[in-house]
This record gives sequence, structure tokens and C-alpha cells, in this order.
Amino acid sequence: MPTLVRKTLVEYRRALIGWTVGLCAFLTMYISIYASMMNDPETFSKQAIAKYPGAFRDLMGGMSDIATGRGYLQAVAYQLLGPLLFTMCAAILGNRAIAGPEEARTLELTLTLPIDRRRLLLERWAALALGLLAVALVTLAVATGAASAAHMDVPFGSILAAHTGLFLLVLFFGTLTLCVGAAFGRKQVALAVVGVWGVAGYIVETMGRSIDAISWLRWLSPVHYYLDGRPLYQGWPYGDYLVLLGATAVLLMTALLAFERRDVGV
Amino acid sequence: MTAVVETEGLTKFYGTRRGLEDLTLEIRPGEVFGYLGPNGAGKTTTIRLLLDVIRPTSGRATVLGADTRDPRVRARIGYLPGELALEGRERARNYLQFLADVRGGVSRGRIDELAERLDADLSVRMGELSKGNKQKVGLIQAFMHEPELLILDEPTSGLDPLVQQEFLAMVREARTAGHTILMSSHVLAEVEHVADRVGIVRAGRLVAVEDIAALRERAVRHVELHFDAPVPKESFEGLPGVRDVVVQGASLRCTIDGRPDALIKAAARYTVVHMVSAEPDLEEIFLTYYSEEEGRHAHAGA
Repeated sequence: MPTLVRKTLVEYRRALIGWTVGLCAFLTMYISIYASMMNDPETFSKQAIAKYPGAFRDLMGGMSDIATGRGYLQAVAYQLLGPLLFTMCAAILGNRAIAGPEEARTLELTLTLPIDRRRLLLERWAALALGLLAVALVTLAVATGAASAAHMDVPFGSILAAHTGLFLLVLFFGTLTLCVGAAFGRKQVALAVVGVWGVAGYIVETMGRSIDAISWLRWLSPVHYYLDGRPLYQGWPYGDYLVLLGATAVLLMTALLAFERRDVGV
Repeated sequence: MTAVVETEGLTKFYGTRRGLEDLTLEIRPGEVFGYLGPNGAGKTTTIRLLLDVIRPTSGRATVLGADTRDPRVRARIGYLPGELALEGRERARNYLQFLADVRGGVSRGRIDELAERLDADLSVRMGELSKGNKQKVGLIQAFMHEPELLILDEPTSGLDPLVQQEFLAMVREARTAGHTILMSSHVLAEVEHVADRVGIVRAGRLVAVEDIAALRERAVRHVELHFDAPVPKESFEGLPGVRDVVVQGASLRCTIDGRPDALIKAAARYTVVHMVSAEPDLEEIFLTYYSEEEGRHAHAGA
């Protein structure tokens, strides 16, 4: 493994372990509630769900079949909270690639090593991607185990398809953070861009289903390519996932070009 | 003999603020070059340009014969940043090993040898290093791969006097090994004992480049002479290079520019019982450059 990738992963280690533990705890807790809910069918009966305002149901991805294993898993893990937490993890790590060290002024010495800037950025990104992949793999195992323990009856293939989408989504946001950080060298700017694009993207994608005026904006939302294919139900939305991957590649290229020509630390 | 550092019209503007303007400088192989100027004069800007951390607005620079954009050349440079930041839970030794690996390795025991010389504790986590120890770690990483060119930005800040002496010894050893050193400082006293030449930068412009030996030649020297009997002031007035003559009974104080010859010959007519000659104050010369430059600016502005 290239020195800088290894070194960056060592720097990420504690954060990666922390986020993995947190995400796993979140998944186990929320998924395990499913079993007790099933013992009390009234909670998620059609009538009970219908009491929620329509807009809220839209935001939560419909909730029409929350009483089923798939519906519950989608609503609690893959709809909002899972991607939200995992994206926060990706944004924090993405900021530690360039913008964080630049603000802390430790990047200067790294830049004066005999490594060209492109390689520096690529290796930092590779470490970010590998770190997120590790978190994704562990959480996939935990989600699968918890789902089967709660008798959700969701096949592994479906969970894998949804989890892959989750990984691609957070990789996109992590790369976005890294890209903005590489272009401007400011953590706050990067977090603001990710926050605004992520939250607005989520709202546009979920509310946009029923509001025609903003429906077209869904194409600009990364969340659209994660949620629209309903991988937990319909399996792999290859096209959507390719869009996410392609957008990530474009961001990475942008980061390389921007970082290459910038004054660092001024 | 090709220059180790060569710049031509090197200019850097941060927006409209001038960082450095039209720097043309040549640093020769094997010399210690002191780069002097007050804070904010453009020293760090120059150094960052040479290391390709920032990019010039115009002009060009080569280091060790290569364009500054060539990353390979940086393996042959040792760099100590002016504001060295070391952070995190990593231990200093591991960090140094990482830097060494990326630069292509250092000879066995070299890191420990330097740590011992500078009395640095490398088992400490980087975030917990004191300012002085940070500077030591910075010096170790700059010297450890025995680079052909050392670029040291304010190297002695935060070091106690004993460590400063050791540092100056390291600089001399590097020069003996044929390496070139560029070190910046805001006080001449810090570099005058090791530097061969000094460049003085002020408000983004190189004001003067001088040989330390020549500077010493032109140095202002304060001299005190004591005689066995009172001496007439007239005997010492109007001597070439002698000024500010004060006679008090049997003692005389004056300032000489350059050679003390005329004063010695005049004093030889009397019986000298005691003589004190202070070290030439290069700082004073250094400051006259500044005031001259300032005068010129004021004139241009009027």
C-alpha cells in the first residue's frame, strides 16, 4: 500500500472505529425494535400511518409498508437516518484529507515532500474511500445480522443492493467535501456545501415526488440516485449507481485540477 | 558553477497585496545565505515559492537546477517551516520515520543521533510537544536526510541558547559537507556567525545582498582608550573614519567606520594603558540600509 494511503488510514483509524461503532449501534437498536413492533400490530397499522401528515410521510419515504420487514428497514435504516449519519462521517473524514491539515498548517510540510500534488490528493482520497468501504462492510454485516435476528425476512441480495447505494452516496459526499476543501482550503465551506446540497437534495427528492414545480430539481440531487431505484425492493439500479460513481469521478477530477493550481495555506 | 537557487523577477501578489516583487537572487553552492528582514517583509513568501507551496504571480525560480514545480527535487531539500505545526496523537519518532520513508530513507541511527544532539524526546505525541521540542523535531526532519539544500525559515525561534549553539554547529557541518543553506531571520545577530552572505528584504523587495566579510569591513566599531594622563581632544579630531569623539580626562571614546588605523597611529603618541573595542555591530549597518531605503521612499513620496 502506498505510504501516504497507509499513513492517512492510520490518522483516520480512531474516527473510523468510532463511526463504525456508532453506526452499528444505531442499526442494531433500530432494527431490533422491529420484532417488538410486530408483537403490537396496532402501532404501524394503515390507520395509524394515515394519521401522519402527507408531507411527513413523503419525507420518510412514503411509510406505506412500514409494517413489513422491507418497509421498516427502508424507513428506519436506509431512508433518512442511516444516510444522514454515514454522510456526516464521510464529510468529517473528507475534511481531514486536505482542508483540515491546511487549516492546522500541517499540510505545508507534507506538500514539500517529493510527492506531486496529484498523487498526494489521490492517495488521500484512496484512503478516504477505503475507510468508508471498511465502515460500509462492517455495517452491512451488522445490518444483515440484525435484520435476520429480527425476522425481517429481507434477502441478503436486497440489503447488499441498498447498502451498496448507501456506500456510493456517502462516497459521493465524502469526495465532495474533499473536493471543496481542496479547492478552497476551508473546512466550513466544505461542510456548508455538503450540508446544503445534501439536505436540499433530500427534501427535493422526497417532496418533489408530489410537487411538480420542483420535480425537475430531483435530477440534481445525489439522493435521487440513491432512493429512486428502491434497491431494497427492486434490486440493483445500475444506471443510478453509475451516475453516482460518475459524479464522484467528476468531483475527484475537479479536486485534482483545483488543488494543482492553488496557493496552499495563505 | 551553477547556482543552487536562482530566481529571476520572482513576484507574488496575494490579490492586490504585495508579498514579493521582482526578486532576482542567486545562491551559490556551499554557501550559507542569511535572508533577513522584519516580519512580513516577504521572507516566508520567497521560501514558500521556492518550495512550490504557493505559485508565483510572475517570474521564475529554479532550485538545484530544476524547476520548482518538479516534485523530485524536493527529496534533496530539507525544509523547516517558519510556523511549524505538528498535531495529532502520532509519536514524533513515527512521524519522522514517515517523512524519511517518503524522501527515500535516511541512514540508520541518523534520527537518534540528531535527537541526542538536540536533546529532543521523540516518544512524545506530536500534539503534546512543547514549542521548543516542536522546533527540534522540525530541525531533525530538515537535517536527517542530509539534503543538498537546507531551507530554514526562522530556525532558531523557540530554541534555548545551548540548543542554538548545537544548531549552528549542525549548519557549519552541513556547509563543510558541501551543502547549501538558506536561512531566514529577522535579526542579523542570529545568522552573522554562520552566514557567508546576507540578503536584506524589506516590504517585498530585496534591498541589498552583502558579503558578511565586507559588512564586517564596513562595520561600525565602538572603541574606548585609556591613557596614563589627560589627552587633548584636538589630537583625535578630524581623523579619517573616526567620529563621535568624547574625551574625559585620560579616557577617550569614539566610533570608527572601517579600519582603526588612523586612530591607533594618533593614540601611539601617548601612553595607552587600556583599550576596549566592542565587537562590530553589524546590526547597525543593517539598520542603516533600512533607514536609507526609508529615506528614499519618503523622498519619492514627497
